[in-house]
Amino acid sequence: MTKKDAKLTITINNKPYRVASDLTILKAAEENGIYIPTLCAHKELTPHGGCRLCIVEVDGFRNFPTACTTPVSDGMIIRTDTSALNEVRTEILQLFMSEHTSSCLICPETEECRAFMGTVRKAGVTTGCRYCPNDGQCELQDVVEKLDIKEIKYPIYYRNNRVEKEDPFFDRDYNLCVLCGRCVRMCQEIRTANVLAFNYRGRETVIGPAYGRTHVEAGCEFCGACVSVCPTGALSEKDRKWEGKPDREEVTTCSFCGVGCQMRLQVKENRIIGSLPVLDDPVNNGQLCVRGRFCISEVVNGHQRLLAPQKNAGDIGIDISWDNAIAGAAETLAECGPDEAGILISPNCTNEDLYVAQKFVRVALGSHNIDTSARTFYGSGFNAYLNLVQKATPLSEVAKASVVLCVGLDSRFGRSVVGVEIRRAMKNGAKILSIHPRQHNLSLLADKWVQPLPGDEVATLQKLVKLSVKKTDTKKKAGTEDDLAMIACLLKEAKSSVVLVGSEFLQLDSSARILALIDELAGNVGAGILPLPVQNNLIGSLMMGAYPELLPGAMASSNAKKAGELKKTWGVKLPAYKPNKQGGALFGGKKLKVLYLIGENAPNGDAPAADFVISQNLYAAEASRKVDLDLPAAAFTEADGTFFNGEGRVQRVRKAVEPKGQALPDWQILCRIAKKMGVSGFDYKSAADIHKEMSTVVPGLRTFERPARKPQTITVKSEMVVSAGKNSAAKKADKSYPFMLSACAVEHVYRGMALSTWVDGSRAIFREGVVEVNPDDARRAKLSDGDHVTVTAADFKKVWPIRIAKEQAPGTLFVVMPQGESLKANPQPVKIRKKNV
Amino acid sequence: MRIESVEQLRKLEKKYRGETESHPVRVHICYGPGCLANGAQEIGDRFRKVIKEKKLKNFKVEAIKETGCHGFCERGPLVVLEPEGTFYTKVKVKDVEAIVEKSLGKSEIIESLLYTNPADDKKIQRYKDIPFYAHQKRIALRNLGQIDQTSLHDYIAAGGYQGLAKALTAMNPNKVIKEVELSGIRGRGGGGFATGRKWATCAKIESDVRYVVCNGDEGDPGAFMDRAIMEGDPHTVLEGMIICAYAVGSTQGYVYVRDEYPLAVVHLQKAIEDAEAVGLIGENILGTGFSFHIAISRGAGAFVCGESSALMRSVAGEVGEPRAKYIRSVVKGLKDKPTVLNNVETFACIPVILSEGGKAFSKIGTPKSTGTKAFSLVGKIENTGLIEVPMGTTLREIIYNIGGGIKDGKPFKAVQTGGPSGGCLPESKLDLPVDFDTLTEAGSMMGSGGMIVMDDATCVVDVARYFLSFLVEESCGKCVPCREGLYQLHQSAVRICEGKGTDDDLEIMQHLSDMIVIGSLCGLGTSGPNPFLSTIRYFRDEYEAHIKEKKCPAGVCTALITYIITDRCTGCLACIPACATDAITGKKGQVHQLAQDKCDRCGACYAVCKYDAIEIH
Repeated sequence: MTKKDAKLTITINNKPYRVASDLTILKAAEENGIYIPTLCAHKELTPHGGCRLCIVEVDGFRNFPTACTTPVSDGMIIRTDTSALNEVRTEILQLFMSEHTSSCLICPETEECRAFMGTVRKAGVTTGCRYCPNDGQCELQDVVEKLDIKEIKYPIYYRNNRVEKEDPFFDRDYNLCVLCGRCVRMCQEIRTANVLAFNYRGRETVIGPAYGRTHVEAGCEFCGACVSVCPTGALSEKDRKWEGKPDREEVTTCSFCGVGCQMRLQVKENRIIGSLPVLDDPVNNGQLCVRGRFCISEVVNGHQRLLAPQKNAGDIGIDISWDNAIAGAAETLAECGPDEAGILISPNCTNEDLYVAQKFVRVALGSHNIDTSARTFYGSGFNAYLNLVQKATPLSEVAKASVVLCVGLDSRFGRSVVGVEIRRAMKNGAKILSIHPRQHNLSLLADKWVQPLPGDEVATLQKLVKLSVKKTDTKKKAGTEDDLAMIACLLKEAKSSVVLVGSEFLQLDSSARILALIDELAGNVGAGILPLPVQNNLIGSLMMGAYPELLPGAMASSNAKKAGELKKTWGVKLPAYKPNKQGGALFGGKKLKVLYLIGENAPNGDAPAADFVISQNLYAAEASRKVDLDLPAAAFTEADGTFFNGEGRVQRVRKAVEPKGQALPDWQILCRIAKKMGVSGFDYKSAADIHKEMSTVVPGLRTFERPARKPQTITVKSEMVVSAGKNSAAKKADKSYPFMLSACAVEHVYRGMALSTWVDGSRAIFREGVVEVNPDDARRAKLSDGDHVTVTAADFKKVWPIRIAKEQAPGTLFVVMPQGESLKANPQPVKIRKKNV
Repeated sequence: MRIESVEQLRKLEKKYRGETESHPVRVHICYGPGCLANGAQEIGDRFRKVIKEKKLKNFKVEAIKETGCHGFCERGPLVVLEPEGTFYTKVKVKDVEAIVEKSLGKSEIIESLLYTNPADDKKIQRYKDIPFYAHQKRIALRNLGQIDQTSLHDYIAAGGYQGLAKALTAMNPNKVIKEVELSGIRGRGGGGFATGRKWATCAKIESDVRYVVCNGDEGDPGAFMDRAIMEGDPHTVLEGMIICAYAVGSTQGYVYVRDEYPLAVVHLQKAIEDAEAVGLIGENILGTGFSFHIAISRGAGAFVCGESSALMRSVAGEVGEPRAKYIRSVVKGLKDKPTVLNNVETFACIPVILSEGGKAFSKIGTPKSTGTKAFSLVGKIENTGLIEVPMGTTLREIIYNIGGGIKDGKPFKAVQTGGPSGGCLPESKLDLPVDFDTLTEAGSMMGSGGMIVMDDATCVVDVARYFLSFLVEESCGKCVPCREGLYQLHQSAVRICEGKGTDDDLEIMQHLSDMIVIGSLCGLGTSGPNPFLSTIRYFRDEYEAHIKEKKCPAGVCTALITYIITDRCTGCLACIPACATDAITGKKGQVHQLAQDKCDRCGACYAVCKYDAIEIH
């Protein structure tokens, strides 16, 4: 028997219990179903001992010890519910309430009020019983009820704090705060973000970032972990403030990036009202990032969701029935020749959707015209990225590593779950190294941060690769100020190291070269490598064969053996595969008769992308996209399925609510069209059905209900041909074009929709179409925040607002390109001028 | 020069002592905080200048010593001529020339600067004969006034580091602990925990690292014992720490000094550097192979950081908040390692215990509280200052024999001991022997040694209100009983002082106090209601006078008093300009009038009236 599970005998309230030796009294009592009131203890956090409500009587102890901080010992005799204890607890609780806005807790009309809790009229009213948004979910309320407090005998001294609403996603009303410190401990111990702290002392204590900064300024990641643990209504989500308690929860996988966080969707009356992390999950360890925590409900509940199929004529859309829509689509597609129609599907879709889509193309349309937007996102670096993906090491390795090198990774918002792992590694003594062109959230904590300016990325990495060769003596140089030598030295000497690849360099013209160098570097020093794909199911799109070059199982389309195998399963001979000479452009750059978009955007432009465009998504496509038929699709919260995350793990997506309006899962729509076209092999009853068929052609998949695939790298048995022309060295800045402008694509996208379009708060943190300018440069150019500037290069001219960002290196500009826009060269020298208004 | 061995240290001691004694007269100028504030620095400078000008034979400038606090702050600035012990009080810069000429040049005594015994109006020449000093016994403060504050030379000459030498060469760590246990010394910071036992526990715990921390976060209002030691004799603190480190097996120590003591930091820093330079701190101390390092850690101005767990968090760079101590800090303290935390005064006693032996120490004081205790004696008392007496000395002896009784011969009312969380004792308790247990039984506590004496013009309700307001301000806010409970207590006290109190207030306060004592997390909370509890215990009538009769018997609480001009008024006009609110009117030679509606009861008229014509009702 190990020491940890050694059992002790303790007596609680005259009953003997056998408990493990490493427990506190509180945990031992909770395990055995004994209630001890508490406000500050939380199962994820270290004991605090501040609320003093969990005091117990223990024989041999002088005073009443707190159950949350006192470990059990053999033979301990504990009483949790004596009159002496309850008298003190009652007093303490009354003291709590002497400063807490407490009308609802002792209001004689509580019962009646509860009965009418959900009325519209009361929503948003900030007085009376609607002062606190947490009615019904407040732990203080529970304890008051349990201890049966009816009056407060002490004079009331409210704190009269201002309600803080200036930051996105959650509001803070510290009048309701009981200073339990859960949020502070969460931020410091678990998230290790250290944004929250106790400010001032005594009665003046307020939680918040030090020195009066806002949360945005203080580097808050808006992960919402603090909101989740708040026992009162002090911290409340803006979006669901008055929603109340959920009816139920559904565990699913987040679809916003390739990390694959497990989350609990909060459901109330067939509506997603929020999302919380799954505790103790091997992937996200009880953490979420701002997108998973705060953005889901706004994306899937938007009041502009497409509720019925819609036929468009010019700017006017007319709702039509599903039967009409299916018939129309089937007819149009049936009229096309084999190579005249194609599907562009989002890599945010589930494996089942992707599988059905590619089967639809290969069986019903008789071509290989299927692709995803990942090809355009990664551009010339797509091949190189796939090479890295095939080497993905599990995320759990990060915390164990002794050196972590982050290349182009900013873990503040999108990857904050990875950021937590990085800081966990740091806590375990790991060295953190970062290569990033701007000041970012790792630059302060990294042991070394190398800042290659736009255009120097390849040269920097080349130097590093050279130094990383075993026989190069870097030790001597490491002592000097040569940062790269130091990084190389650390990597070479590390017991275990991981290279994390973020999305900073992915849209540069030289991305292929950069990614290849990262690969070489990792190889030289024997580091594990973990690319963090932006698209949550990028690997699924490869494994399902959602590309012309790939068949299910990530086998080359030219592979006759695989084609034969598929023929057996599908009962149809596969169309002949002709390699695409111009892989960079979708569908070989050819204009199609019918373009079928599933969770993707039609290319913007004056001319329609095809003669007939079908868009299947959560929202109707913008009129400018010239879509002929809009089909309402289900969101990932509304359908079942599976995903591959970036580590190659298969995860489940579960239907939490019914699809909005008449929306249907993507695969169902495809199947109905196929059947209408008279094609057989699309008689699936459920996602599980599809999964069953898939698993016969894709290795590693087995059970649908409990996917067993652990993090495991994949093998892509084909070359993705992408046009190579762009891979050229960047031009240098000169007198006429003194600034280097680098750009990246909008990263926070779900099914082709930028989150900033649909989520209010995200606009404050994800800025698109805004040029970031170094403060010194801005001063010289007499620019202030929000000014519009004309950015001119040899071959383009754009007007963007600016943001003065101290993160930006002098002489450089950075912009997140609005969706659908791109630069011809990236990075490139430009000049800026304040726009005359 | 490094001191490589104990023999070398002994030789040095002899040499240094010889050097010190070779001066026929030594001028000890008190550079304690009180005297410095009254111009000791200027006096010292003047001495050097005058001596240079006069070109005295047989007198070297090195014989001027800037010493630590002599203790008799009431009479500062002090100048003592050693080895004779001639004691000059209230010395001014203009007196320096006379002292140099007469006392140094011709060994004459300047009568006018000597102390006058108020009992018989006779001048006393030697300080040892002055009652203030005669009744004291100095162990922790032994070098204060005797040696130059930061001089390692003087400290060694005074027998410094001999305790360490003995420990390192003649004793094993276990024996050192035994010696400390034998002395019976208990922690001087207030807790009174047996120091030897603490060390023994720490030494027994298996760990790669152990820490020794000195608590110099002396936060009690009116207390300055630790400050005087850190500023005036820093080496003794360091020596105590090194001995402790040797005993428990530690290699790193920290002195935690409160932010309000910048001079202590300077002196300690110099002492550490000097000791490091000669190899008394650092690697291979005195050539014995034992190594120990000391660093200074500065507080940021929080009273609660005097509490052990909060202090250790503060040293580690975290927020200074106490934690629940289900595991004592001696087991899991600084950075979760076994840590000995002792007060400055405790460490100052250790070298003596080692060099003189634990047995000798244990014979001083009472059986359960051995040794001596330093107190800072302040308030309405004739001789304010820093004193050290054997444990078991009665309060009366301290206040009347050493302190010289109440100022201006007024009646004694109460003495407050133990700092803000201590308590007030009335006249009936004056014959209590001062030791850890007796004071606690009487409802007060030893604390770190603050002693505030009050006369009958002090309102105890107001005193309780003041101490409560201090504690409310200093509560860290972590636990509710302390954060909200003390605030409620304070609010009730304020109401009573304003004449708005009711009987309910007293009941609530009593009830609340009991709960705060039971429910609070750390010592600040559990002793927080003491200002109320001890005053209500002995002075309930005064509370009741405030509540029922709406009167403040001491005439302090402004809301409850009125100033009245009686017919003793001579019409001198003095009080009219003194009044800030123009409440007093009148003509020369006629009895003045006081308009009660304008009077804000500041007491300025009362203070300026020479004819006792103004009365407080």
